[in-house]
Amino acid sequence: MSPEAVELETPSGLEWAPVIRLVVGGFADRAHLRFDELDDLQLAIERLLAEAEAEDRVRLSFELVDGGAVRLRVGPLNEQSVAAALRDSGRGGEELNLRRVLDTVVDSFDVEGVRDGKVVVRLDKLVPAREA
Amino acid sequence: MSSGVPMSSDYDRELLRRYHLEGDHAARQILVERHLPLVRSLARRYAGRGESLEDIEQVGAIGLIKAIDRYELDRGVALTTYATPNVVGEIKRHFRDKGWTIRIPRGLQELNAQMSKTIEGLTGSLGRSPTVAEIARELHATPEQVLEALEAGSAYSPMSLSVGPSGETTADPLDTLGAEDEGYERSEERASLEPALHTLPPRDQEILRKRFQEGLTQTQIAEQVGISQMHVSRLIRKSLARMRDEMAPGMI
Repeated sequence: MSPEAVELETPSGLEWAPVIRLVVGGFADRAHLRFDELDDLQLAIERLLAEAEAEDRVRLSFELVDGGAVRLRVGPLNEQSVAAALRDSGRGGEELNLRRVLDTVVDSFDVEGVRDGKVVVRLDKLVPAREA
Repeated sequence: MSSGVPMSSDYDRELLRRYHLEGDHAARQILVERHLPLVRSLARRYAGRGESLEDIEQVGAIGLIKAIDRYELDRGVALTTYATPNVVGEIKRHFRDKGWTIRIPRGLQELNAQMSKTIEGLTGSLGRSPTVAEIARELHATPEQVLEALEAGSAYSPMSLSVGPSGETTADPLDTLGAEDEGYERSEERASLEPALHTLPPRDQEILRKRFQEGLTQTQIAEQVGISQMHVSRLIRKSLARMRDEMAPGMI
């Protein structure tokens, strides 16, 4: 993880969403994200945590990676609930599920680190080179 | 008659038949107990808003009982599908009727009130969505204050979901009882995610389609629909959360 990474561990549950949003916002400010890009990241995390079952606590990490992307990791999440939420319905994108939402608001996402039925979801949002 | 344990929905239908046609109140009680886990699951989504989880569960149980009592045998929809919006609606009505609102410091309220117009103005002059730092400079505030004000604007209140920052209102059917019942009748006929889209007001459906099917940005949507970008953001969040609430648990 890069030296400019931020890690946050919070209890899971909707009541902690404001805390997570504030930290996402702070990191986005440091990364010079625009308001709509910040909003996309907040929505991605919000929907992921709403759809996938988390343990009592959830860990989020934020970092800027080489090549210009904000990388978020969220976990541990229940593997089966993540698989169900991210399933491809095969209906040509007509279904408005979590996969569809993430396809729209982030540039890529993947599931990492399967262990004991728990996974971490990685979200990448590209940040084009721009003036500070 | 099949051997072994009857399917859950078959058993529910039998209990509903016994209750509604034979007046079997013991069957009603069994139905309530069988579906309390559903109530608890839905109630957990509303925890942490100034009410104990137990109280929210009790309110949700009232919605479950209403659903059992209102259930019409000839509709053929699963009780879980029919009960979910009743339970959720009862919980939401409970919060609304209590006049529940998070207290926001006045300074943050004032900053939030200026936020939407500032973002719109900067978007117009910059030709793109502004950064948090740019918004802060324009408002003579710190980025941290801007982020806190944005969060304050997201704080739940009966008004915040259907009133834009400039006082623009949406005709949100969920805010009136009659329309709520109408929504329940529509949602009872559906058991998958996509049809849940149709329980939303037409404008909210349009916004979701523009964002997630056509791939428009919030700024573009705001321009086309004639509302602020912040309002678009709020409506998208509300709509996605509402669609999930309309679904029975475990149907994803």
